[in-house]
Amino acid sequence: MRILVVGGGTGGTIVANNLARRLSAEIRARKVRLTMLSASDKHMYQPGLLYVAFGQMTPDQLYRDQASLLEGSIDFHVDPVEKFHLDQNNVITKSGKTYEYDILVMATGSRIVPEEIPGMAEGAETFYTEASAVKMFKRLREIQEGTVAVVVGVPHKCPIAPVELIFSLNDYFKARGIRDKIKIKYHYPIGRIHTIKEVAIWAEPEFKRMGIEYETLFNVSEVDVENKVVRSEEGTETPYEMLIAIPPHRGMEVIEQNNLGEGGWIPTDRFKLTMNGHDNVYVVGDTTNLPVSKTGSAAHFEAEVVSENIASIIKIGTPVRDYDGKVYCFIETGHDSATYAMFNYQNPPDLKAPSKPMHWFKMAYNQMYWTSVRGLL
Amino acid sequence: MTTQTETPLGAMPNEDLQRLVEFAQLVTAGRDAMSDEIVTRLAAAMSEGLTLLDRLTRNEGLMHLLKVLDRQDTQHLLIALSDAIHAASQEIPAAPPATGGLGCMMRVARDPGTQEGLRLLSVFGKHLSHSMREQHRRGG
Repeated sequence: MRILVVGGGTGGTIVANNLARRLSAEIRARKVRLTMLSASDKHMYQPGLLYVAFGQMTPDQLYRDQASLLEGSIDFHVDPVEKFHLDQNNVITKSGKTYEYDILVMATGSRIVPEEIPGMAEGAETFYTEASAVKMFKRLREIQEGTVAVVVGVPHKCPIAPVELIFSLNDYFKARGIRDKIKIKYHYPIGRIHTIKEVAIWAEPEFKRMGIEYETLFNVSEVDVENKVVRSEEGTETPYEMLIAIPPHRGMEVIEQNNLGEGGWIPTDRFKLTMNGHDNVYVVGDTTNLPVSKTGSAAHFEAEVVSENIASIIKIGTPVRDYDGKVYCFIETGHDSATYAMFNYQNPPDLKAPSKPMHWFKMAYNQMYWTSVRGLL
Repeated sequence: MTTQTETPLGAMPNEDLQRLVEFAQLVTAGRDAMSDEIVTRLAAAMSEGLTLLDRLTRNEGLMHLLKVLDRQDTQHLLIALSDAIHAASQEIPAAPPATGGLGCMMRVARDPGTQEGLRLLSVFGKHLSHSMREQHRRGG
């Protein structure tokens, strides 16, 4: 049995390690071969980028060698896939090699596309790459007064990020002693301040307490870099001194180029996590088109279901679990407090009051993440 | 609303209240002493410790070695090994440097200690080779 995992992010790495553990006897007996193909030899802890943008972490703290995170029995290659031949059960990589499989796990992730909104790439700060997070921090250190506008593109990964950003901005400017000289204005594309109703209900009084101005139904149409104005499709505009954008996201280009899913999101069975029409192809993490958050935690819970099912198919011939849509998001409510949102397909989140121990839990998780991707937690 | 099973604070003995206050003070002191950096360092150490423990406990060879080391006869070997390390560490620095040459080689070869040492190594080598052949035969 040949299992091929494409993508070495959170979802792919957990699936591969989990399978290596569950199928160790079969791999030793050479009945199962486990291969991972990734675009990079480095693994980045993406949630850490927000800390980099506020000078709380340095970029080098976010990386580990991918090979060091993988079980020794995984055949790992840095060789991104360029062509998927799902009807022939093989893929072709950048180096020209063909990899055959019996079971394929797609975990290719997502990317930001700020260039889809005129002016956003040039005029807005963001924190979704190492370079942009460092640039945003330098810009934050420079600003002395004026309006800091936050805009949100659609769709975007980690739905909590815009809210966390606001809390962090408020605490950052307070710590610098210039909060009274900075106006923070938040813009959100739908009719309330967050896509998750319970988060919107919880965050609204928090925004009022912090003196955050907000405008809903603001879908960014363009950023006028020269005049420092951001405009919406609804016809409103906000002048700014500094603009921070949560850029729109798409699935990876290779998914679109192979016509596997619109926008790069692969149509996925919400319970089995198989690609629609392909029972031997599993999809995890940002790559799915599921109506759940595109976060590391969703990728983690999906990866556990996928690896358990693949292992049980090999051992007893049938899958044993369904994905229930579970997501667990930490919400940093500033630089010294946090809460969390946990939800699934059936149950909405029930947010608790922020506390310092929850903030420490998040700080601890930033380190425990490496244990988590190794398939231990 | 207070239920019958709850004890109002006022009804608690002073000693118990005092202990509760002390416990709360202890927790508060610990909390105040913590910082993000301490939490981060502790979590990093725990994370790496857990990974190391996982690697060790899933290392088949190491687990087999621990099982063998637990046996009574191996205890004797370990004690003998410790004694040998101690004795050698004392004997070697005190011994004159080797003069070299065939005569020296012959003297060393005639020494019963050398012969015992070679026998020990050859017995060890025989069993090591046998075990490796056996594992290879089983597909290891």
